[in-house]
Amino acid sequence: MNLPRLGHPNLGLGVGLRSVHFSHILEHHPSVDWFEIISENYMDSGGRARYVLEKIAERYPIVMHGVSLSVGSTDPLNRDYLDRLKRLAGHVDAKWISDHLCWTGVAGRNSHDLLPIPLNEETLAHVCERIRIVQDILERPIVLENPSSYVTFADSTMNEWDFLAAMTDETDCGLLLDVNNVYVSSVNHDFDPNEYLDGIPFDRVVQCHLAGHTNCQTHLIDTHDNHVVHPVWELYRRAHASTGGISTLLEWDANIPEFPVVHAEVLKARRYMRDGLDEIELASEDDTPIETAPSSTTSAVPHPATFVAVDAE
Amino acid sequence: MAKQTPRSLSAIQQWMQAVITHPAGVSMGADSDEARRHVDVGAEHLESVIRRSKALTSAERLEVYADAYYLRLLDCLRSEFPALLYALGQEAFDEHAVGYLQAYPSQSYTLGFLGKSFPDYLRETRPADIPGGPEEPNWPEFLIDLAALERTYAEVFDGPGIETSPQLTGDDLATVMRDHLATARLEMAPCFRLVRFSFPVHEYASAVRHEESPEPPEPRETLLAVTRLHFVVRRFELTPVQFSLLTSLERESTVQEAVEEVGQSLSDEEFGQFAGSIGDWFSAWTANGFFAQVR
Ligand SMILES: [Fe+2]
Repeated sequence: MNLPRLGHPNLGLGVGLRSVHFSHILEHHPSVDWFEIISENYMDSGGRARYVLEKIAERYPIVMHGVSLSVGSTDPLNRDYLDRLKRLAGHVDAKWISDHLCWTGVAGRNSHDLLPIPLNEETLAHVCERIRIVQDILERPIVLENPSSYVTFADSTMNEWDFLAAMTDETDCGLLLDVNNVYVSSVNHDFDPNEYLDGIPFDRVVQCHLAGHTNCQTHLIDTHDNHVVHPVWELYRRAHASTGGISTLLEWDANIPEFPVVHAEVLKARRYMRDGLDEIELASEDDTPIETAPSSTTSAVPHPATFVAVDAE
Repeated sequence: MAKQTPRSLSAIQQWMQAVITHPAGVSMGADSDEARRHVDVGAEHLESVIRRSKALTSAERLEVYADAYYLRLLDCLRSEFPALLYALGQEAFDEHAVGYLQAYPSQSYTLGFLGKSFPDYLRETRPADIPGGPEEPNWPEFLIDLAALERTYAEVFDGPGIETSPQLTGDDLATVMRDHLATARLEMAPCFRLVRFSFPVHEYASAVRHEESPEPPEPRETLLAVTRLHFVVRRFELTPVQFSLLTSLERESTVQEAVEEVGQSLSDEEFGQFAGSIGDWFSAWTANGFFAQVR
């Protein structure tokens, strides 16, 4: 029997660190339990982002979440990137390092998107081999997240949950279960999200992600620009019960509201930590999604890595 | 109908990348030579690679990725080059930016390098100069200068600085000026840059940041020092003499060598003025974080 969460602590309810909140956090030291950073936004920075991170790391546990590992790609792994990742983890005492089950580009290119792979025995072997290399270099287990996806492949022979279970079984890596991604993919690929959770080895789940998405009617897009919807909270309730308590993190990356609003959103998770609550208690005004349906001129675009604008006079 | 042969993961990835990054969209992407080289199915037979869902066809599903690819990277470039965006207007800016992303697709794990070669790309694709010859700066020259300035700002903003490391103090400077003029070399701050433009693009860029709707400026030889103070990028317009002096210091001349080198090109009267100003200049430059330390 494995230790729950690979032996990692339950850090509580955290928020994804975004530059628009830097001043608020440094000034008010909000009582958030922990922060997750997008690793690539800090690993090369010699500027404000890095300075603020070091200040925040003095007070809060930090988890590193990357978007460019590209563990599913057929390009060689980037050794320099992994070395930098490891160095940053040392500097901020990262509790763990996560990325996604995806590829971001091939032939030397980076699409800066989280692209899905066909799920079959061949790709499972490929991904497992690369996870082992990554874990050797980082000298720690990597934690991988189920991405939101918009296509499935004719060459797939496995469900994503079976793939994840086999992957963690073969490599001892951890899982970051994004329950919003489970929901988004379940709508996009016509499966039952509860069947997905049935297949997840919860003793390997180190962390949960929560986020909002955009409903395009025929499909959902993982835009991280809104409140968490009710069906996603219900999946979270199951994940929480099945793990016996889990580090939980809210991602909000576009139309980002003030910090207290983002923090309040993740604190709603408390309502789903006990069974048998009245639906009435769960309904509240601030659950209403902000209207962000894409207009005719702009489409809903996921931004896995947020771009930090320059402060200049 | 395309025949079903075992396809490697590598072939599928190269195919999908070609399809979703094609500037003309998924259909043209799937029919492109690049895509067909890896998986030879045209736009008609996408279902043999990508399944459809109940609500969307294979092409429509791929379009989610294709639509997001350029929009995501355009968003980043618009944020990095706000003054260039204002000068060109969004339509023309996006046209240049899409061309740039095709010529210089991102090859880095970080978005921090995304705009690195944008000024080069504009230089390489600039239209032939309008009459007046190369001495007469024109509109493309202005745009290239603006892009180069904004890229400099991006690098200065997120690169190493002097906020958390020792920087030259007024006392250090006084000691140098009094006792070590002949031997002291000043190490420039790591965020310090000297740049030369044909237009006062720094004023234009600041006006855009302050939402002042500036008109494109008249050409004017513009010499700038760009640096960072308290994590904000600052720029200072320099006289030719100041620019020469700082250039010489940046090449690691001693203070005395730099002063002498600049002094050689001045008339006696100019040299008198220069000598009388140096002290004030160095004090201001020190206060504004141009220097890291004395060596
Ligand atoms: Fe996530």
